[in-house]
Amino acid sequence: MPGKVEIRNIRKSYGSFVALDDVSLDIAPGEFLTLLGPSGSGKTTLLNVLAGFVRPDSGSITIDGTEFLTLPPHKRNLGMVFQNYALFPHMSVGRNVGYPLRLRGVSAAEIERRVRDALDLVQMAHLADRGVDALSGGQRQRVALARAIVFEPSILLMDEPLSALDKKLREHMQLELKRLHDRLGTTTVYVTHDQREALTLSDRIAVVNGGRIAQLGTPDEIYDRPRNKFVADFIGETRFLPVEHGASGLSLYGRPLKVRDEWKSLTGDTPWLVVRPERLRWHGEETDAANRIDAETTGVIYQGDSYLVTVRMPDGVEIDLRRGPDIAGKELPQRGQPVHLWLDREHTILVSDKP
Amino acid sequence: MRKSMKQGIIAAIAAVGLSTTAMAADTLTLAGLGGKVQEDLTKTLFKPAAEKVGVELRGESHDGLAAVRVQVQSGAPGWDVAHLGAEDCAIGAAEGLFEPIDYSVVNADGIPERARGKDWVGTNTYSVVLAWRTDKYGDNPPKDWKDFWNVEKFPGRRAMSVYPQEMMEISLLGDGVPRDQVYPLDTKRSLAAIAKIKPNISVWWSSGAQSAQLLKDGEVDMEAIWGSRIAGVIADGAPVKFTYQDGVIGFGCVAILKGTKHLAEAQKLVANIVSPEIQARIPTMMGYYGPANQKAFEVGKFPPEVLAQSNQSPENAAKQVIMQPTWWAEHMQDVQEDFKNLITQ
Amino acid sequence: MTMTLDHPGTLPAAAPNADALQRQGARERRALASLTLPGAALIFVVLILPIGWLFWQSFFGAAGQPTLENYARMLKPVYVRTFVTTFEVSGLVTLACVLLGYPVAYLLAQLPERLAGLLMIFVILPFWTSVLVRTYAWLVLLQRTGIINTWLVDAGLISEPLPLVHNMLGVVIGMVHVMLPFLILPLYASMRAIDPVYMRAAANCGATPAQAFRQVFLPLSLPGLAAGVGLVFVLCLGFYVTPALLGGGRVSMWAMQIADNISVYGNWGAASSLGVVLLIVTGIILYAFKRLFRTENFGGTR
Repeated sequence: MPGKVEIRNIRKSYGSFVALDDVSLDIAPGEFLTLLGPSGSGKTTLLNVLAGFVRPDSGSITIDGTEFLTLPPHKRNLGMVFQNYALFPHMSVGRNVGYPLRLRGVSAAEIERRVRDALDLVQMAHLADRGVDALSGGQRQRVALARAIVFEPSILLMDEPLSALDKKLREHMQLELKRLHDRLGTTTVYVTHDQREALTLSDRIAVVNGGRIAQLGTPDEIYDRPRNKFVADFIGETRFLPVEHGASGLSLYGRPLKVRDEWKSLTGDTPWLVVRPERLRWHGEETDAANRIDAETTGVIYQGDSYLVTVRMPDGVEIDLRRGPDIAGKELPQRGQPVHLWLDREHTILVSDKP
Repeated sequence: MRKSMKQGIIAAIAAVGLSTTAMAADTLTLAGLGGKVQEDLTKTLFKPAAEKVGVELRGESHDGLAAVRVQVQSGAPGWDVAHLGAEDCAIGAAEGLFEPIDYSVVNADGIPERARGKDWVGTNTYSVVLAWRTDKYGDNPPKDWKDFWNVEKFPGRRAMSVYPQEMMEISLLGDGVPRDQVYPLDTKRSLAAIAKIKPNISVWWSSGAQSAQLLKDGEVDMEAIWGSRIAGVIADGAPVKFTYQDGVIGFGCVAILKGTKHLAEAQKLVANIVSPEIQARIPTMMGYYGPANQKAFEVGKFPPEVLAQSNQSPENAAKQVIMQPTWWAEHMQDVQEDFKNLITQ
Repeated sequence: MTMTLDHPGTLPAAAPNADALQRQGARERRALASLTLPGAALIFVVLILPIGWLFWQSFFGAAGQPTLENYARMLKPVYVRTFVTTFEVSGLVTLACVLLGYPVAYLLAQLPERLAGLLMIFVILPFWTSVLVRTYAWLVLLQRTGIINTWLVDAGLISEPLPLVHNMLGVVIGMVHVMLPFLILPLYASMRAIDPVYMRAAANCGATPAQAFRQVFLPLSLPGLAAGVGLVFVLCLGFYVTPALLGGGRVSMWAMQIADNISVYGNWGAASSLGVVLLIVTGIILYAFKRLFRTENFGGTR
């Protein structure tokens, strides 16, 4: 299967600002890889380097073993979906999708067939003769996608393609994108700053920060095994609790803390306990009393499908917990009541400030 | 306080009213084409004439016959006398815009017949002359329009006006018509002659400044140009000379607007403007123009260099043709269109 | 139980304040409409009225008699020729403006906005000199004894001065100089509005830079180009000073005929009829342009 991408030592700086700091990355054929990071992290720059719109200072990119970085954009044969779709306003939907094929000298009949197929795939065949001005955001998104895949590119690039859609449509399109990728199997590089989108879509996620890849891994590795505080913070609703590292071992709020992985101390760095609120329990068996936290309920808000319960840690840190309405077992805590929380040993994650 | 203010205003209005009545009694309004020419004419002719009549002179400016027509049609013209180009005087007279000139008051003895009509009279003259670059023709310059039309003997680039007045006249002269047989203009012959010289006309000028510049810069070698413009070119030191031989004399004129309340004073003003005494001021004060009244040269004593330069000195006037404004008044638009059609072809 | 939906126009029996609210709405609409009154009045006084007067006047002869002769006269060869020349000159000037102005606008649109703004001053500079001065400056450059011919002759490139002025060429050069900003300004504005991402998208689709320009940028810049072309062409139709001075009397434009009719013949009716014809032809051209480019907002981008 074609589409193996090897990115090696890409550097790009604008004056003193280093946008990409020696980035290396392998993308397997057929993989859906997401570049996830805050704005200014370098994720879009990396995508533009791939597309050929940004010329890096140095580095190498090979696709299936062939050097690629020195090719001009129009010779790279990449499909790309732009953030605001970039559909040509002077062409109909069909002509937009057929444009890459026209440039490749495909016969008119063949263009028609393939445009129809591509539009069928995104359920837009009935609008082929429309002007793009007449389309809704979601429809434009599908047309842009059809245009990017119609010429069967070896790699598909997507630059925050769903960011302009409203939440509901965005979630719907995420599932569609995933189905499409499963069907086509095209190697895909996807840029987003939305961690949930990244978790939903990706085979692997590269979390990008400060021009470097902070962590590369599958969604569950990224979520459950964040390598540092930045990744842990960026993914999920995360709280950090300070952990003391004494001669007797680790402790949290004066109680000993039992952790899944041994804390390998690097000199001088403090461990932080990563708390995913949904992992905190206040009901069920007290399996491990060592990881108990005595907290206080400071608020309860009814939200229809769930309750939002705010609890205050001994040091004053507040954490919002979500509790379904019909869970059997303990009563919903009341405001002002103390509440005992547990964190299972296999869900303890320790990180340091250092990357 | 309030009362005294009111009284003051009434008094002011009364004063203004009084002064307008006073103006009506001894002020004449003369409207001309404006600019430097009107300034000079006012100084040379109009002001001294008004002094002789004993009236105040108020100057106004207009932009041609159309404005005069509007004044007359209003029934109570704000102007008493208009200064115009001769063709406009002839056209306006035909339209009945003017009061007849009272030739018992206005003595027109020295004014050539073509330079006056029943309703108007010439006040000043100019000439369209043949001028050339001396660096091109040296000791053997063109002498008249026949030479202008002779491109074998006098090769070189030529310029004429984009307007047909005077150009039609010189084309007939160039084609061999004697000076006394120019009118009525044989337009067919004239246009044929112009068609013949057309390939050698580099520029058809449309303004006096342009015509002077062309000769001064050596853009053309030979040109039909207003004598008034040549003086400036020569004064600038350009190697240029001109001749009055076969020149065409055109003129400005005055007419009294129909419906004026000061007809008698206006007749007197016109009489003085064209009187030999006042006309005699032109050769020295407005050297680039000539008097309309030939008797100016009997009244005034001029040094020979002034006489040589003036287009109306008896010696120079004899070499030239006087333009006939009545002919132009009748044929202007058609001739202009045919002429333009020819030169833009 | 049955439910009926009220017709939107009929209010249920109990509709508190309905009348008052409706009156309030009507009052607001009236107040808004009244804001347009001063503008409408101004347009009426300075535009509609004079044009109506122009039409009216065009049916009267020099002596004030009602007549169609002013229009009949336009069939004469000199008017037909002038008409053709006017369009010929306007077409040539527009074409030259496009050929010269498009690359300039394109360059400016590619530059950073600050630098482009600075360079734009040079484009607008001609606006700050009078047309008369500019036209005389061209005479100084172009005439036989002018700077260009003098250089060329001195350099031995030509033996005879070239006829650069006092002809159609001179008129076109002079008018292009005056008209160029009118092409560049709307064109530049519309090019600036073209998102550079379209060019990236085209490249990504496989278009070479030349293809991307021809198939994407050029079509997207057409509304701006059309606005500029329409503006330049229509302004050219009414040109007077430049052709009069640089045409050497050979190039006669419609506006010069209008001026002649007033200043030489004093015939306002004839001048008005020429003005009416120019106005109508200009209107037709603008309408055709609008139809051709289907731009909703002439002068703007899509």
